[in-house]
Amino acid sequence: MSLDKLKQIITDVMKEVDVVIGYKQGFDPLHATPCFITKPEQVDQVIWNPLCVQNLASYLTSLKKKVGVIVKGCDSRTIVQFMQEGLIDRSKVVVIGIPCTGVVSVRKVLEKVKHEPIEEVKFSDDGMVIVKTPSGETKMALSEVAPDKCETCQYPTPVLYDHLAGEPITSTKDPQSVFKDIEEFDKKSLEEKKAYWEKEFDRCIRCYACRNACPMCVCQDSCIAESREPHWVSQKSNLTEKMMFHMIHALHLAGRCVECGECERACPMGIPVNKLKRKINSDMKVLFGYEPGVKPEDKPPMFTFSVEEKNIEEHKL
Amino acid sequence: MADTGFIPKEKWGAFIEGLAAKAQVWVPCLDGDVVIFKPYSKDQTLCFERPANSPPKGVIFPQSDTLFAFNFSKDPENPQKVMVELEEKLDFPKTIIFGSRPCDAKGFLIYDRPYMQTDTPDPYYKGRREQTAIVTMSCQSTYAGCFCTAVGGGPADKEGSDVLITELDNGYFIEAITDKGKEILQQAAAESGAGHEAEALKKQEAVRARVKDPFCANGKPEISKDLFESDEFWEEELSKCVSCGACTYLCPTCYCFNITDETTFEKGERIRSWDGCMYNHFTLEASGHNPRPTKFQRFKNRVGHKFLFYPEKYNGVIACCGCGRCIRFCPMSVDISEIVSKLQKQTGSASNGK
Amino acid sequence: MSEVGPKELRIVGFLCNWCSYGGADTAGVSRFKQPTDLRIIRVPCSGRVDPLFVVKALLNGADGVLVSGCHPRDCHYSDGNFYARRRLEMLKRLLPFLGIDDKRFHYTWISASEGQRWQQTVTDFTKQIHKLGPLHSGKEAQQ
Repeated sequence: MSLDKLKQIITDVMKEVDVVIGYKQGFDPLHATPCFITKPEQVDQVIWNPLCVQNLASYLTSLKKKVGVIVKGCDSRTIVQFMQEGLIDRSKVVVIGIPCTGVVSVRKVLEKVKHEPIEEVKFSDDGMVIVKTPSGETKMALSEVAPDKCETCQYPTPVLYDHLAGEPITSTKDPQSVFKDIEEFDKKSLEEKKAYWEKEFDRCIRCYACRNACPMCVCQDSCIAESREPHWVSQKSNLTEKMMFHMIHALHLAGRCVECGECERACPMGIPVNKLKRKINSDMKVLFGYEPGVKPEDKPPMFTFSVEEKNIEEHKL
Repeated sequence: MADTGFIPKEKWGAFIEGLAAKAQVWVPCLDGDVVIFKPYSKDQTLCFERPANSPPKGVIFPQSDTLFAFNFSKDPENPQKVMVELEEKLDFPKTIIFGSRPCDAKGFLIYDRPYMQTDTPDPYYKGRREQTAIVTMSCQSTYAGCFCTAVGGGPADKEGSDVLITELDNGYFIEAITDKGKEILQQAAAESGAGHEAEALKKQEAVRARVKDPFCANGKPEISKDLFESDEFWEEELSKCVSCGACTYLCPTCYCFNITDETTFEKGERIRSWDGCMYNHFTLEASGHNPRPTKFQRFKNRVGHKFLFYPEKYNGVIACCGCGRCIRFCPMSVDISEIVSKLQKQTGSASNGK
Repeated sequence: MSEVGPKELRIVGFLCNWCSYGGADTAGVSRFKQPTDLRIIRVPCSGRVDPLFVVKALLNGADGVLVSGCHPRDCHYSDGNFYARRRLEMLKRLLPFLGIDDKRFHYTWISASEGQRWQQTVTDFTKQIHKLGPLHSGKEAQQ
């Protein structure tokens, strides 16, 4: 996809909206950052490359203006989910879709270059990332440093768009592989799984970055994790309270999580928070044949019911 | 002159272990792919190669601190009468923060002013602070987003540390800065540091030259009050902020707290826990009114506190140590140094922002 | 009284006002023998039971949680238990992922007239929890 074409689309869309949300270069060569374009001269700041990791659709529910938004395949599912839940006015959103061949995980790149300061980042046409640090250039395949979600990506082309910058791509990833890691993890013993989560959640500092970065966490300031009345979690910084917070997050996203991975990416302590939600999603698929954020006319399974549930059997003691 | 010493690489582990025998030592440990301060134990993987993801502020200012426990009981003779027993714990063990960075150490100086250097010092903070020695490692590199030199620090700045250690090619150069530091140096049974000072200085200078100075001005950033008060400025800069609190909880100089009573039936604890100005609830009043209802106002307060209000109160000292964590770990890559730099550039220096 | 062993465990039961609470009452009035580990919390409808109630109980000291509502198609509010069924099934599948045995959580449907069935359910569930033992070790569970 050419950047010029994207800029042209943005310029056109600008005529009908108040703001277009895109990406620009961030504070160092390895980071992109969202930019809110309101004036034509700002269009030139726009970039598009595998550093554009943020899910820009997250901003839609808090903006009251008419918005143009750039989405990758995974991000577009957010918009579909918003539509299913009636959280946005579709007529006020212009979706600029970009077929995406994968993004980088900043964390994985830093691991590869041993956390040295980044001087330059380049992307070659054959899917390589070239990172320059004071000790020299490191070449790595994009697939090696992509976030986990890219490995099983089923929707490289946005599922919904008004403008598409580039040619649609079809996924080559096996649809059966999507929840493979979840199934593998679930095979472990209860003790192993308990120990795993205790170790991971113990690092949580309850900064709520996972919650605030999550596009589907639409309660935001009214989140029950911070309210005193009802008092779901206390201010104590212990494992029970941390775990409770993460369960609140996971259960409130049951059958709604579009797996954009923002929660996990935002976490400054590297906690695999998306795993819980993906586990629930895998069950939603088994129980109700439902996948969040794919068809605008679907209804999230927890918002509805069937009198006879085909896949739920009564449990015997 | 400060006392100095030298420890060869092979004796490094024994040095830390020796300290751990006499005090509780908090060291940066690798946990998954993140580095956090934990109490030293042999089965931890220590990591000094990069700064910890979260600063060691929790050692002296814990994320949640039980101020006291309480217990209500009824008088069996007179059920109308309720008695309260309070239990307070104010003895703090001898502690060493080992392997913090100069910026982390400097953070505690920012806390000292409101917590200790007042007419009513905070006993919990003061108790821990006085029992704690800070052993700092000078930085061997710069890290994404860090800018310590721009706020009066440096990668080998001694301010706030009791001991400063510089890693050399075949060992560690140790400088004792305070009396607490001298005690640690004595324990280390180190060789004389005399022959290594030049090498250490050279290493320190080399890193210093690489730290970015986003404010492009010598000395302290001067903030334009007009721009600071302009809503448009904040709305334009902060549209991308998601108003989580990662920046405040990872900040070595953020010291705001909340006090709550966590009670179950007749027993409970009064807890002081971290709070941050990025949260809606921080300023929410009992009436339901919130004087800072938007993320723009909240972030404005964060910048204001660090670069305007704190300096006004405490002789121009900037309450930012330039560690860069808030930039490095921000989910949306909001850059406070860029924002401050824009705030001051408008006052009339040469460049006019982006 | 204690068919299930000498030491009591903590089991929390969320019962709907219209059917299961009535069922438990029927069992009580009929003087059916029941284990005493269960603490009942009456809720208006099984649809009121947020899966987080169950999680909160399990994380904060309960050794088992039982949820019971009206039989499907019998809900006092016509469809509350249909929603509950989906939510609770989702939770039942999630708990083992966290390392909590799903046998510690059970949801079922008992009507106001089914005193016998209530007695059987409580007895069996309590036995099941006793077989698993306490979920929390020592200090934590005291909270």
